[in-house]
Amino acid sequence: MRLFAGPARSIHMTGSIASIWEGRLGVDAAVLQLRRGDPDALATLMARYQNRIYRYLLRLVREPADADDLFQQTWLRVAEKIRSFDTSRNFDAWLFTVARNLAFDHLRRLRPSSLDEPVGGDSPNETMVSRLASADPGPFDQMLAGERARLLAGALENLPVSYREVLSLRFEEEMKLEEIAAVLATPLSTVKSRLRRSLEQLREILEMGTAGEVRE
Amino acid sequence: MRRSDEHDEIRKQLALYVAGALEAEAETSIAQHIATCPSCAAEFERWQLISGGLRRLPTPQPSAVLFERTHAMASARLAAQAEQRHNRMVLIPLIIFSWAVTVAGWPFFRFATGGLLSVLDIQFRQVWILFAVFSAITWLAGGSAAVLLSAHHRDERRLA
Repeated sequence: MRLFAGPARSIHMTGSIASIWEGRLGVDAAVLQLRRGDPDALATLMARYQNRIYRYLLRLVREPADADDLFQQTWLRVAEKIRSFDTSRNFDAWLFTVARNLAFDHLRRLRPSSLDEPVGGDSPNETMVSRLASADPGPFDQMLAGERARLLAGALENLPVSYREVLSLRFEEEMKLEEIAAVLATPLSTVKSRLRRSLEQLREILEMGTAGEVRE
Repeated sequence: MRRSDEHDEIRKQLALYVAGALEAEAETSIAQHIATCPSCAAEFERWQLISGGLRRLPTPQPSAVLFERTHAMASARLAAQAEQRHNRMVLIPLIIFSWAVTVAGWPFFRFATGGLLSVLDIQFRQVWILFAVFSAITWLAGGSAAVLLSAHHRDERRLA
């Protein structure tokens, strides 16, 4: 157990600073080329971001067929709007915002009620931590130790879309909180509270051991 | 702060701690606490199982077919936009030039046909109307040709 190493920081330490910078410069160069209409630059950016964008879309809409369609629409929109992209801004945040807007439009058409916010209220769940502390850790630990990925993915799917989104951006995309705030177009404090509530609700679902508790 | 209050306070923040969403000062304080408190350390470990699991979730990937199709469609859109920009860049100076020629041609037209007009006894107003009709027909023909050419290009692109 690493007590003093910040959990998020340990991830960042795995990549060298040099490679991060090289990657950043590569993206910037490709974006500039794409603004001039170079299809090779588009291929470079698509190859770089395809898995991240697809995963993010799939987390939002859950249906692979919808994610496929939105993936396509996202890159078409990128090709259309790249000239209006301000190069002084973060391309990652812009790209995810494009994907997000399309996904939310799709969800709104599909099920308008699924986008109601916030789910679970703004006040912190005071009682849950104490309840968790007194809960028997046996089944919980076993459940996580066993088919953790499958269970987590199942529990994640049962969270409201705004919670799935913030968890995906933080833990899978490893975005900084400021970047998440830019993508979500919300204040940093909202990102933090949403992140906390989403983790708490995810844990609650995992502890219940069922994927049936949906507060969407 | 009483010890139990401190535990509660720490545990409330553990979710954000494992998400790396706390200030450095708060992180240090939590790290120091869980180093000396087995029950909070156990709680932290549970949160870590969740955060670690989230980070290691399998990454779904788009199919190669989807990638290729998307790239082809987006490239076609890029090409169409480039063509539109090019057309705009060519057409705007061309239109300005045409208008300049039209306006500048008016005194020249009068001067060149002056003798003939006086022989035929055509009045100034009639000449002006003839000139306007001639210009309108020319512009209409040019505009129609541009629209037809553009539609033809679009059809070709669609078939390609």
